[in-house]
Amino acid sequence: MNFAASPVLTLRLPVWRSRLLLLGFFAGFAVLSVRAVFLQGWNNNFLQAKGESRYSRVIEITANRGRIVDRHGEALAISTPVKSIWAIPGDFELDQAQLVKLAALLEMQPQDIQKRIADSSHDFVFIKRQIPPEVADRIAELRIPGLFQSREFRRYYPGGDVMAHVLGFTGAEDVGQEGVELAFQQRLAGKPGSRRVIKDRKGQIIEDMESIKAAQEGHDLVLALDSRIQNLAFGALKSAVEAHRAKAGGIVVLDVVTGEMLALANYPTYNPNNRSQLSGSSLRNRAVTDTFEPGSTLKPFTVATAIETGKVRPDTLIQTAPGSFTIGKATIHDAHAEGLITVAQVIQKSSNVGAAKIALGMPAQSMWETFRSVGFGVPPKLGFPGEVSGRVRPAKTWRPIEQATMSYGHGISVSLVQLARAYTIFARDGDLVPISLVRVDTPPSAQSVISAETARALRAMLESAVHPGGTAPRAQIMGYRVAGKTGTAHKQENGGYAANKYVSSFVGFAPVSNPRLVIAVMIDEASDGQYYGGAVAAPVFAKVMEGALRTLGAPPDAPMKPIVLPAAGEELKDSV
Amino acid sequence: MLERTLQRFGQLGARLGTQMGLQPAAGSRRTGSAAMRKPLAEYDAGLLWSALLLLTMGLVMVYSSSIAMAEVSRFTGGRSNYFLVRHLAFTACSLVAAMMVFQVPMRVWQQAAPWLFIGGVLALLLVLMPGLGREVNGARRWLSLGIMNLQPSEFMKLAAVLYAADYTVRKAALMHSFKRGLLPMLGVMLVVGWLLLREPDFGAFVVITSIAMGILFLGGMNGKWFAGLMLMLALGFAALVLTSPYRMQRIFGFMDPWSDPYGKGYQLSHALIAFGRGEYFGVGLGASVEKLLYLPEAHTDFLLAVIAEELGLAGVTLVIMLFSCLVMRAFAIGRQAVNLERPFSALVAQGIGVWLGVQALINMGVNMGVLPTKGLTLPLMSFGGSGILANCIAVAILLRIDWEGRQMARGQVV
Repeated sequence: MNFAASPVLTLRLPVWRSRLLLLGFFAGFAVLSVRAVFLQGWNNNFLQAKGESRYSRVIEITANRGRIVDRHGEALAISTPVKSIWAIPGDFELDQAQLVKLAALLEMQPQDIQKRIADSSHDFVFIKRQIPPEVADRIAELRIPGLFQSREFRRYYPGGDVMAHVLGFTGAEDVGQEGVELAFQQRLAGKPGSRRVIKDRKGQIIEDMESIKAAQEGHDLVLALDSRIQNLAFGALKSAVEAHRAKAGGIVVLDVVTGEMLALANYPTYNPNNRSQLSGSSLRNRAVTDTFEPGSTLKPFTVATAIETGKVRPDTLIQTAPGSFTIGKATIHDAHAEGLITVAQVIQKSSNVGAAKIALGMPAQSMWETFRSVGFGVPPKLGFPGEVSGRVRPAKTWRPIEQATMSYGHGISVSLVQLARAYTIFARDGDLVPISLVRVDTPPSAQSVISAETARALRAMLESAVHPGGTAPRAQIMGYRVAGKTGTAHKQENGGYAANKYVSSFVGFAPVSNPRLVIAVMIDEASDGQYYGGAVAAPVFAKVMEGALRTLGAPPDAPMKPIVLPAAGEELKDSV
Repeated sequence: MLERTLQRFGQLGARLGTQMGLQPAAGSRRTGSAAMRKPLAEYDAGLLWSALLLLTMGLVMVYSSSIAMAEVSRFTGGRSNYFLVRHLAFTACSLVAAMMVFQVPMRVWQQAAPWLFIGGVLALLLVLMPGLGREVNGARRWLSLGIMNLQPSEFMKLAAVLYAADYTVRKAALMHSFKRGLLPMLGVMLVVGWLLLREPDFGAFVVITSIAMGILFLGGMNGKWFAGLMLMLALGFAALVLTSPYRMQRIFGFMDPWSDPYGKGYQLSHALIAFGRGEYFGVGLGASVEKLLYLPEAHTDFLLAVIAEELGLAGVTLVIMLFSCLVMRAFAIGRQAVNLERPFSALVAQGIGVWLGVQALINMGVNMGVLPTKGLTLPLMSFGGSGILANCIAVAILLRIDWEGRQMARGQVV
């Protein structure tokens, strides 16, 4: 018999207390049940809304950026999927062997990776962005805790530096930074869509709830550019700039009929695929953003205005002797004293004195109107970022000496694109078309600037300028008739003209019987002793024009006979 | 001894089989006379099944609620079944321990009660020793035993039940004397309470205080004193809460979790969201979002929230019903012991009922935002070796008391 069972010492336990306590427990459980019903059956909408605000996120679905293709559909800019590698430093953990492998795959120094992790007080660090997917897969196989990847797109430009200034490039966030990429950002980017998802606390999507907006893929962009002509133009420009040890150069090729920009190149340039060097002056799309004093390439507009206003005819004689002309205190010089020459010869021989005399024979307003109507002083409206309008001062402010110098392209500034476009009036029977970066399927309506007769007269003068006896025989092409004008201008520096820094240019078109292309070439600061437009820029023109016309299959309009160049020393030089 | 043990468990197993519908075939009934007579039950089926169901459900839910956390945690080495494997091992060991405990007669428990209590107090002292106690999240509650950590406060709850019951029985004649009946118990409890608050383990303090108060109340303590003591306790709690910013913060976090949902109210607001998301039938086993690192302590203190989200009101109601059944059976067994004039067993049974009931009530109340966050696990369900072991031993003692009662009812001596 044990102690507890002994009846003598038995404690009387009041049963009602036990029942009361049990009742208390039941009451507690009942309260909990009611509370559960309230939370789960009654108040659940409120709680679920609270929950969604915690872990449902609207995420953006990136829209694929549209491709940029040339007029024949060749890809110029494409988006390729890449991965970004990032880490949560607090969770990032790896041994030495893994670190070495990771560093090798990322082409980084192991210390740099550790520094990135250690330096940051953030809970999110990019280790490296834009990694090829194959490399990213191999990194994933390392299974390093705290190391994550996310999908991105990388813009790739198959043409590299050849198209760089036309296409521009995109930044890390896939937004256009320069060129067409910036100009057509809206159209290329498309519209990102969004959907609502539930994410876990690490940010991983665990449930797709609803699609809010479908992503709209970016549109492809068909440029007017012809990559064959672009390659040709770039190659010729590059070798000329290098051969003449010039500071820079630019070339623009326009379709005379449609106003399409078939090629545009600048040198120096850059490789848009290499992001580490996307800065500095090589990024400048000089043909659009820089202006220069065009020099003699402007004379045809002076002469055309004079013919239009009836002041002269092509065969009107102008006295240019003694090869200089004094207006007030200033004196204008010609490279050669030509004596009594016709208006046509003023163009052919590029006489400054002749151009100045013709200009002074008409009101300044007429010249100004011509300049404005061919697009000088107004932006070319290509859509390029940073397009400049150039400087054409109002006619009222012109002093006679200014009117005289402006007749041969000084005291006025234009961009290469403006100059090329202006020359279409001579190639097109006097009217001007808007120029376009994108392919044009129906020729746009043109605006008449000068009469067809005047245009034809100028065409003949410009053709004579490239013949022996003109300033640009090196612009000739075998099999095609070519017309064009050289320009050689002192560069402006510190408010005056630099003695030995020149801008050499040539603008022309071909075939003369049925003009197809206008090409404008500009070489900045040729420093190998040659600087005349006829010697520096005209050969580039000829090379590109010949190749482009053959590429386009333009029927020849001249006999296939060797080009006649004047004997050395007999070449006519521009009047500067 | 061993033979008897196996025999008893054989009977238990046979009864379990019958309960599950495994009736012996009609032909086999004739094979022995024992099978012909319907034997008296050897154990309390409601209690056993409630406990086993809670254990099983706990195992499943501990796994479900811990997968996501285990996968990303550095501590688990990224193994998603880290907590499942451990919980499974704890449960298996605890069941074996429970079977062994079932063999221990109640008189042995009564004789051992003071010693167990002293052992428990020593263990609580060891926890507070620098270098011995293991600190997790700012609380020193564990003793490191190499492969596992021991949480003495869990066993202290058991020791408190046994000690308070033994004390009440020993001082039966003095229950109406303040000095000799109540004061010694009060002093002992103050020491234990102080040790627990030093850890700090406020939850265990509340449970052990409830056990002691409950047993004194059931043991027939003077009603006026009891009321006075309750008042004193209430004032004491208020003082404790008001003097500690840590506890104060926990109190106010529970009042309105939405006022500071990313700070003080973070855990509770996520628990409530889990309840709301579960609705009537849950989002489905394994489909909880809250367990994906949003809800801290999902596999321990806030296991019910994950149950609520995955199994809905149905799951929560089932858990509440199982605990109600558990407490009800504990009190029924206690009252049966009263009838059999076994006061120690009666008080132990009801004391265990108070323990499991209070702890379940508080844990569930915390999960549902009706009580301030305490740091108490859900008995028999939450992850934690010490807790599961202590709870299983408690259930085994309940079954033992019931079994001894049934033996006495048949006129056998135990």
